Amino acid sequence: MPERLWRTPLDAEKAARPKAEIHILKDQCKGCGFCIQYCPKKVLEESDEINARGVHPPRVVDEKKCIICSFCTAVCPDFAIFVKEKTV
Amino acid sequence: MTPTLDNAKAIAYKKALSECIDAEKLKFCFECGICTACCPMAELLGEGYNPRNLLERIFINMEEALASEELWLCAWCYRCYRHCPQALKLPEIFLHIRRLAVKHGYKQPFENAVKKIVTAVPLSLVAIIACFHPERARLDLNKILDYAEQLRKEFLNERPWKTEPIKGKVAVIGSGPSGLTVAYELALKGCEVTVFEALEEPGGMLRKCLPVHRLPREFLDKDLQVLDALGVKIKTGVTVGKNIDFDSLWNEGFKAIFIGVGAHKGQELKIEGENLEGVFHALDFLWTVNSGREIDLKGKKVAVVGGGNVAVDSARTAIKLGADEATIFYRRSREEMPANPWEVKEAEDEGVKVELLVSPKRILGRNGWVSAVEFVRMRLDDLDETGRRRPIPIDGSEFVKESDLVVLAIGEAPDLQFLPKEIELKEDGTIWVNPLTMETTLKGVFAGGDTVTGPATIIEAIHSGKIAATSIECYLKASGGK
Amino acid sequence: MAKEDIRIGVYVCHCGLNIAGSVDCEEVAKFAAKLPNVVLARDYRYTCSDQGQELIKKDIKEFRLNRVVVASCTPRLHEPTFRRVCEEAGLNKYLFEMANIREQCSWVHLNDRKAATEKAKDLVKMAVAKAALLEPAEEIEVPIIRKALVIGGGVAGIQAALDLADTGYKVYLVEKEPSIGGMMARIDKTFPTMDCSICILAPKMSDVGRHPNIELLTNSEVVDVKGYIGNFRVKVLKKPRYVKEDCSACGECSKVCPMIAPNEFDAGLALRHAVYTPFAQAVPSTYIIDMNLCLNKDGIMVCEKCIKACERQAIDFTMKPETIELEVGTIIVATGADVFDPSTLPQYGYGRYLNVITSLEFERLINAGGPSGGRLIRPSDLKIPKRVAFIQCVGSRSSKTGRTYCSNVCCMNTIKDSLLIKEHWPETEIYVFYVDIRAYGKGFEDLYKRAKNEGVKFIRGLPAEIFEDRKTRNLWLIGENTLLKEPYKMSFDLVVLSVGLEPRKDAELIQRLLTLSRTQDGFFMEAHPKLRPVDAATGGIFFAGCAEAPKDIKDSVTQASAAAARAGILMAKGKVTVEAITPILDLEKCKACGLCVKVCPYNAITLNKELKRVEIVEAACGGCGTCAAECPSDALTQNHFTDEQIIAQIDAVTGQDADKKIVAFCCNWCAYAGADFAGVSRMQYPHNVRIIRTMCSGRVAPKFVERAFARGAAAVLVAGCHPGDCHYINANYHTQRRVERLWKKMEQNGLNKERLQLLWVSAAEGERFASKIYEMQRIVESVTPDEIERAKKVFAKAGGA
Repeated sequence: MPERLWRTPLDAEKAARPKAEIHILKDQCKGCGFCIQYCPKKVLEESDEINARGVHPPRVVDEKKCIICSFCTAVCPDFAIFVKEKTV
Repeated sequence: MTPTLDNAKAIAYKKALSECIDAEKLKFCFECGICTACCPMAELLGEGYNPRNLLERIFINMEEALASEELWLCAWCYRCYRHCPQALKLPEIFLHIRRLAVKHGYKQPFENAVKKIVTAVPLSLVAIIACFHPERARLDLNKILDYAEQLRKEFLNERPWKTEPIKGKVAVIGSGPSGLTVAYELALKGCEVTVFEALEEPGGMLRKCLPVHRLPREFLDKDLQVLDALGVKIKTGVTVGKNIDFDSLWNEGFKAIFIGVGAHKGQELKIEGENLEGVFHALDFLWTVNSGREIDLKGKKVAVVGGGNVAVDSARTAIKLGADEATIFYRRSREEMPANPWEVKEAEDEGVKVELLVSPKRILGRNGWVSAVEFVRMRLDDLDETGRRRPIPIDGSEFVKESDLVVLAIGEAPDLQFLPKEIELKEDGTIWVNPLTMETTLKGVFAGGDTVTGPATIIEAIHSGKIAATSIECYLKASGGK
Repeated sequence: MAKEDIRIGVYVCHCGLNIAGSVDCEEVAKFAAKLPNVVLARDYRYTCSDQGQELIKKDIKEFRLNRVVVASCTPRLHEPTFRRVCEEAGLNKYLFEMANIREQCSWVHLNDRKAATEKAKDLVKMAVAKAALLEPAEEIEVPIIRKALVIGGGVAGIQAALDLADTGYKVYLVEKEPSIGGMMARIDKTFPTMDCSICILAPKMSDVGRHPNIELLTNSEVVDVKGYIGNFRVKVLKKPRYVKEDCSACGECSKVCPMIAPNEFDAGLALRHAVYTPFAQAVPSTYIIDMNLCLNKDGIMVCEKCIKACERQAIDFTMKPETIELEVGTIIVATGADVFDPSTLPQYGYGRYLNVITSLEFERLINAGGPSGGRLIRPSDLKIPKRVAFIQCVGSRSSKTGRTYCSNVCCMNTIKDSLLIKEHWPETEIYVFYVDIRAYGKGFEDLYKRAKNEGVKFIRGLPAEIFEDRKTRNLWLIGENTLLKEPYKMSFDLVVLSVGLEPRKDAELIQRLLTLSRTQDGFFMEAHPKLRPVDAATGGIFFAGCAEAPKDIKDSVTQASAAAARAGILMAKGKVTVEAITPILDLEKCKACGLCVKVCPYNAITLNKELKRVEIVEAACGGCGTCAAECPSDALTQNHFTDEQIIAQIDAVTGQDADKKIVAFCCNWCAYAGADFAGVSRMQYPHNVRIIRTMCSGRVAPKFVERAFARGAAAVLVAGCHPGDCHYINANYHTQRRVERLWKKMEQNGLNKERLQLLWVSAAEGERFASKIYEMQRIVESVTPDEIERAKKVFAKAGGA
């Protein structure tokens, strides 16, 4: 089926997305940047603040884009970030 | 007086027909009507011209086609060819039959055609010279122009449409073919029209860029005189957006505005060396030549980049100015060149060279002046979104061509910074209009010509002007000249 | 060479008055009796009749004939008949030759009895010369493996597989998508019955899945094919699903998968996850993981949500691609067709205007199981349109898009679509813009009437351009109503482009793997458009469905059953005989240069470098003879069309009055058939042409042409199939090459190269053949004796008088 797929799917808005809660343990972060680099939805970016270790921890750009793949959790060497599904 | 059919004639007709069927692919025509739907002359003349019908008549009854005045009404805009699913070159087919008609003495149909042109096409003399090209069918152009002028005088004297003059002043921005058409049509109906032209002389592209050998200026002036006689005011040297604000036009009492500023901003190649001295945009080059400046290109090599009519005009102008060499460099193949094929051939006969499947990579210079251009050879891939094959550079095939002058003719866009933001533009920078009324997204403001379609032909500009004029008339009548 | 006496019997047939009316058969028979090696020459009224056949059999026994020549109609008609007669009389069937004095003599020279009779004599002389050199040959038998491969799992592939499996053969069904079903699974209803498409397809799909004789290989592609009819060795690459067959299709994995992408099955109108099933009724129902989308790449496990969600623990990321080798006897190609992409037609605005959709997107929208739940909605605002336009012939019947053929199904598809809309939303205004409505099949015209009855308006005149209203996203169509001769400018809420079908983008790959031919349109070429519509030119391979040409479901299913029957014939027989026109190799002369290997269209010759020779696989040989013409060392010749035999025919033609004759080499399938067709149509042409038949124009070696000129022939014609239509796939390309080289040689030696003509003519172009002979007659008349002598000298090496 090699047709060109250029349309926005009709259910793009309504696709059931679980709401994400991103928890960043700022002072545990050592500023390696892996979570920012590997997030598939580019939800994180480096913040301006400096933590206790003297580095810039990440901050959330748009929590709505997070798909709770937990890649950041898996790749962080210091267990400084994890994601939970928001229970309403 | 139609000559009687004899054996030699029958053979000649059969030969012409078989040329059309095979070489010009007439056998593929399946009568879809697309050519007639997009033909500007078909709309201008209404029932009086139907190219699809004419094609069928050529097939079925050559005598009828030869005796028909419709044969002479094609204005060479090639829109039919671009839209036709079989890519038939209708103007070429008609030319075959036109030449046959002239050879066998069918003169009367042509004279009827001139009558129709004079009544239906504003700027008739300009149109006859630059659009209809009767000389290609081996007719005497000067005699035709005299005849047309005479017919027009009679037509304007009769003016059988004396109705109540339309209430409301109309402003036309730009005195190119579309603007002048709007002015002419509305003035005929008794409307007060003022045309604002940024340059010192009216005519738009007709004055500014069309080479003199394509349109002798005296005929443009003759057509302008007609507008003058109808009471159209042309204010030259006034740039809307600089000398006068767009919004202030409303304050001056104009009830409707027509924007016909054309497409004069040359596209940029965005390559290294584009800002060297000696690199011109084609429109600037042509304007400089047309404004009377003495330019001597003896001994110079001119490179023209692009494949449209503007590129061909630039190359021919360069040869006429004495250039040693004028070469057109186009990145696709000859079939895909947007320029009229016969103009390309005429240019080649005059000494212009055409190099295909090349694209400039960078422009090299010495002491700030152009010295050479580095080109890369292209190959053609599958069709892209414009329906033409996508050119892809072949790595390592670069070569350098010495050039003293580089003319860029790769497309133009309209300069619309002066417009209020309510007037929406399309993605390519042209004004969006309702195709049936030519009205923009701002009520009371209309647009037509190259400004709406992007670079196109004179007859298309005239056509869009006529639609806009009809539309403005309805608008003014409906609003009561508020 | 046999040491025995050659005893030739010649029969000159009257064929009633068909031949005798313009040829003096008695005279020809008398002439034949005097030819060398001829012991018996008769003329007879109807040689192919029972009495005629009995007479030949009697003569063979009585006169101990060991070669038979019948001068009558075209060999394409009665060669098998007379061959059987010889066999019944105990004579090897390859010791028989025919002279065509009807289609190519009496019927085309109706008005010149003397000339026709002289030509007939010449033709008999040629046949006798060849007959003297004929050798007996045995046809080899090749066993056929009783297993079949079906490539493509659309409705055609499914039908073919079921038919073959029900007959009792083992079938491998290879499908490159994760599920079978093809295009038919995606459409909503079928015409003309308005059946729900997937409802009638799904039972067949599950039959395939459950059938004990069918091995279903989905998500797999054929990557290599070697072998020949009855003995194909196929390599299939099974791409990994990453989901084991334990999968129960519960869908829990999909629910938790975080990655989404547009779904190809829904034409991008809906989303799917990285782990998904293409559609609800997929067979096999096992889910599949799209590794391009999944977060786990290169073996690094990042996300394990699907693994955790699966109760059956069916997710397995360690799966690897597998290459399977299959041995099959027949192959059915049912690869289907692609849909035309209208993005290359800028005036229709597809891809820029949201509310311009293709007919395929329409099917998914109106399908109850589709992305909008069966509601036909406008993509821009998701509202139901009140005015819908259908534009026909998008991408078809157009030289601009390069697809000049009619796509067969779009007219009926639109009529069906319009009825579907009227069924659900009767107040919708529907306009169909067409050039011709093709409602040719059973029940089609009735459906068309029904549509008009429901108020669907048909306007003859395609729109030139579509404009969009930026606020409402409605569309204006500007066109001409050609029947009313009026322009139209109409506004619509939704425009459906009725796109055509085009050959698959990977058709070239399949073509190379299976050595198939394609027609100019790009679809696969059948062996004969009327008499062998499902056979490929390559033996053992058959076509089903849109792979061969665009067609609707009924015709696809019909063709699939036909292909299964044809494949069944081969496999039922269990063996196939190969016509003994294969190459003969002279080992001593072979220098292992490998040129023959390169030109063989069937890859039937391989080069054995160690043994310094080539090896011929006779079962794969198609019998074109191109290898024999290519061999520079004279090591290869073709059985029943040997160099000596052809040269004997050339010498027979040019023995007398060569300077007035045209020696023509015609290929059996096109040129010779074209000349026959000229005869059947009684087209008259000059009588000085003598035709020598070869199976393929690729058999014509340059030395044959040189020999003809060396013997003083006025002109030579080499005629074959149109390029791309060659019966032997591409052998005529070599013909072109060789003729061009000969032209160069003639030019370099100051000879008029017009004396050698190359003609591509099809079996239906009798007139083209006739006009070529007229053209060449003028050349023959203008050739000077001096020129003839010069040519003789130039080509003297080829052998003179």
